[in-house]
Amino acid sequence: MTDLGQDKHRSGPPGLKPLDQGIYVHVPFCSSTCDFCAFYQIKPTAGAVDQFLKGIEAEAELIPWRGPISTVFWGGGTPGLLSPDDLDRLAKIIRKKTVIQPIEWSIELAPAWVTKARLEVLRDNGINRISMGIQSFSDELLDGLGRQHTPKQVYKAYELIREMGFKNVNVDMMFALPGQTEAEWLKDLEEAIALKPDHISTYCLTFEEDTALWIKLSEGRVKLDPEHEAKLYEATWEKLHKEGYQQYEVSNFAKPGFECRHNLSTWKMQEWIGLGPSAASQHDGMRGVNPADLALWSQQLNAGKRMQEDRRVLTADLLLEDSLIFGLRVNQGVDLAQARIRFPDANWTFVEAKLSTLESEGLLKISSEVVRLTNKGRLLADSVGTELLGLGSD
Amino acid sequence: MSELYTRNFCIIAHVDHGKTTLSDRLLQQTNTVSDRVLTAQHLDSMDLEKERGITIKSHPVTMHYKAKDGITYKLNLMDTPGHVDFSYEVSRSLAACEGALLLIDAAQGVEAQTVANAHLAFAQKLKVIPVINKIDLPSANLEMCIKQLEDILTIPEEEVILASGKSGIGITDILEAVISRIPPPRWTEYKQPRCLVFDSIYDSYRGVIAYVRMFSGTIKAGDMMLLMSTGQKAEVKEVGIFMPKMEKIASLGPGDVGYIVSSIKEPSDIKTGDTITLANKAATEMLPGYKEVRPMVFCGLYPIDSNDYEKLKAALGRLRLNDSAFVYSSESSVALGFGFRCGFLGLLHMEIIQERIRREHDVDIISTYPSVIYKVKTYAGELMEVDNPVNLPDAGIIEQISEPTIKASIHIPNDSMGDILAMIMEKRGTVDHTDTLDANRVMLTCALPLNEILVDFNDRLKSVTHGYGSMDYEPGEYRVSDLVKMEILVNGDPVDAFASIVHRDKADGRGREFCERLAKIIPPQMFKVAIQAAIGGKVIARDNVKEMRKDVTAKCYGGDISRKRKLLDKQKEGKKKMKQFGKVSIPSDAFIQVLKNQ
Repeated sequence: MTDLGQDKHRSGPPGLKPLDQGIYVHVPFCSSTCDFCAFYQIKPTAGAVDQFLKGIEAEAELIPWRGPISTVFWGGGTPGLLSPDDLDRLAKIIRKKTVIQPIEWSIELAPAWVTKARLEVLRDNGINRISMGIQSFSDELLDGLGRQHTPKQVYKAYELIREMGFKNVNVDMMFALPGQTEAEWLKDLEEAIALKPDHISTYCLTFEEDTALWIKLSEGRVKLDPEHEAKLYEATWEKLHKEGYQQYEVSNFAKPGFECRHNLSTWKMQEWIGLGPSAASQHDGMRGVNPADLALWSQQLNAGKRMQEDRRVLTADLLLEDSLIFGLRVNQGVDLAQARIRFPDANWTFVEAKLSTLESEGLLKISSEVVRLTNKGRLLADSVGTELLGLGSD
Repeated sequence: MSELYTRNFCIIAHVDHGKTTLSDRLLQQTNTVSDRVLTAQHLDSMDLEKERGITIKSHPVTMHYKAKDGITYKLNLMDTPGHVDFSYEVSRSLAACEGALLLIDAAQGVEAQTVANAHLAFAQKLKVIPVINKIDLPSANLEMCIKQLEDILTIPEEEVILASGKSGIGITDILEAVISRIPPPRWTEYKQPRCLVFDSIYDSYRGVIAYVRMFSGTIKAGDMMLLMSTGQKAEVKEVGIFMPKMEKIASLGPGDVGYIVSSIKEPSDIKTGDTITLANKAATEMLPGYKEVRPMVFCGLYPIDSNDYEKLKAALGRLRLNDSAFVYSSESSVALGFGFRCGFLGLLHMEIIQERIRREHDVDIISTYPSVIYKVKTYAGELMEVDNPVNLPDAGIIEQISEPTIKASIHIPNDSMGDILAMIMEKRGTVDHTDTLDANRVMLTCALPLNEILVDFNDRLKSVTHGYGSMDYEPGEYRVSDLVKMEILVNGDPVDAFASIVHRDKADGRGREFCERLAKIIPPQMFKVAIQAAIGGKVIARDNVKEMRKDVTAKCYGGDISRKRKLLDKQKEGKKKMKQFGKVSIPSDAFIQVLKNQ
């Protein structure tokens, strides 16, 4: 791990690795809503974009910046639909606060919005990782999701991204789409692999409340089939492993060295500063979420407030619990030796008892102080998480 | 006012044939209740009764009606419970009357329950006034109804009154018929005071309030009354009538229907059907028809959360205050912890009590497989009654087991005859005789083991006959039968609450079916779980609970952590609501579901 330098605040007990610090920016604009998406998003009017950028600037001023930022992630929404000028403006705000060039700086791009002008601005500002949402190469399945691009746009966009010199590209794919067979999914996945991306995320379609898909589900127009989903997961793992993509999290695969460092940091309960409406933060001993409303977010910023929702003080017990719940989703597992140094005061008796029960049930394995989920446990990660709850609960 | 101007009557009808609406019309017509006060279905006061359209508790009411002959009559209307489980209560309400309106839905015709209740009324020597209700329905079939009344109940066409409680047609005709056809109160000449207890309620301030029909003599506050079934004496504190609210009056005289508040505080001391007389002028004969009510169906009720034990106990106590037919005593189960063995008149009674515990008393409960009372004779000559399979002695010492049967009359359309006969066979029943009701329907009189109709008989009857079949029953004799105890094992451990007593010939099928159903109802578990049925330790059927393969959430990033935690918390809460049997989580309603989804 690169030495990030430490200040007094972030130095911990001896032997503890320094914490990563990242920035997440939520860009809440979309031209239309995808059927599966539950994220906060609004229409990109000129006024709203300006209000958003001013807000980001104001929010950045409220943060007690300390030490270097290792990763930046722009998600949404559709960050890519900002104009090249607005992208430049946003990048400049962030660059003012990062001490050195971040190791990894990602942006989510929708294929329809990928242009040479945008990619130039991004590249020149130091954005070095592109994450493109493809979901599927089937027109029919794409329509079923309410998606706004065609396979043709995908190929064009991908080619342009590589042409412009981006060396770290992820593509997002989705499986278990309504009506999709295992063969259809594998064919889709093969097309994604054929692009030779450095990183592939494969997401099992999730039914979240407040989405169009959820409504279809509750009306019985689509059905859940966990057995089928389990099979698709296993087929995906096998296929990508064969193609040289290492699984490093439930839904994430990368060529060696291309794992998303930003996301790994959050799963390992490091620190991150969230900017923008609905963005979540975890730093300086607190966790909290900004309101999912542009106006309310701006209003709170004017009053000098941020991360007002779901506020929690970060106790050792809460962080240990979350390090396990979220960290176990990572294939590398959780290093208990590190955790003992970081959270010496947590309720280890409880944790050890729970872990040993889960191990006896074949859901995880503990060897030389590292806990890892078994393949069976990985598919049942929510049950594992539920079992581990109880330390940091209110 | 002379008792010559008093008429006591009730309305007997099948569920949904419009009894309550018609009662409301009568109250309205006689200005007993102002239109403003008359909420829909005035006489049914319990929510559950309104919801199910059935009456559980009787609510009498006194009306005054100025008839066409210029005389004002006192009319006492008794409401009667409308379900087979409560046939004794029905018979006591009938005994308090001289006449009855026999209500028939113009579209549905005569149903099994109508026949059963009409026969009860004839047996009490009541004057029956046939009323065909809902005649303004488009589907009304008057000809059919009239023919059925003639053929089945030998009631002549001339006596029939056509009415619609909904639109008020025929209400005056009914009131006039009550006066002209129903005789004035009977047995008024008897030398000593006698009144019949046809119901009672418990009031936390005034104790037990008996609902009575006075036959002879008078009773007033200050009298020393005597309960003839037990010889218990008590001081009368207050008497009154129902207008429809309780209204205190000086004394109850011959023919009156009203209430008595006494010094009695214990609900079980006042028994429905008992005769009250006065201690200093005691009658020597009770009014006819008194019976001890005995529960016929039993099950265990347990709190889902063991902390709710006291709350459940209090709820059962309160329910018992107003329902002396319901009995309970504490018991414990290895699987379910501490709970209560409860006895009910029948299945509907059981369902209603369970629902009221959940709804009105807010206790989540779990119920075991229902049972009847088996009579067991051992080789040692010992006789015992068993109402809980868990208490059945070892098969090796049992010489014989007898089980209760019922005498049922089942009304069905001709075209479901084959299916119903097959079902009666399957349920180990025998058909004694078959009567033709009309061109389309027949009545089967049959004997069935009570334990066979406990769970699904009525539901299946309804579904096979597309809702046109109906059934009424009364207790029959005990019969010796080849019965065995079947245990259900979850993950190798017997779950005592699932044990049942079944006929040996049916054990295999029942065991297989039970395992299959239970395996489906238990949600997928994280490991393989076997469900087995066994008799005397020998496994006769087996099934597996589905293994849960996948529940992982695909997307889980920094922004989702709070959300994800909430999701997991919710899942954890859901799991808490389940009962843990070793490592297996069983949803608390699995028992009911296992019984119902057949």
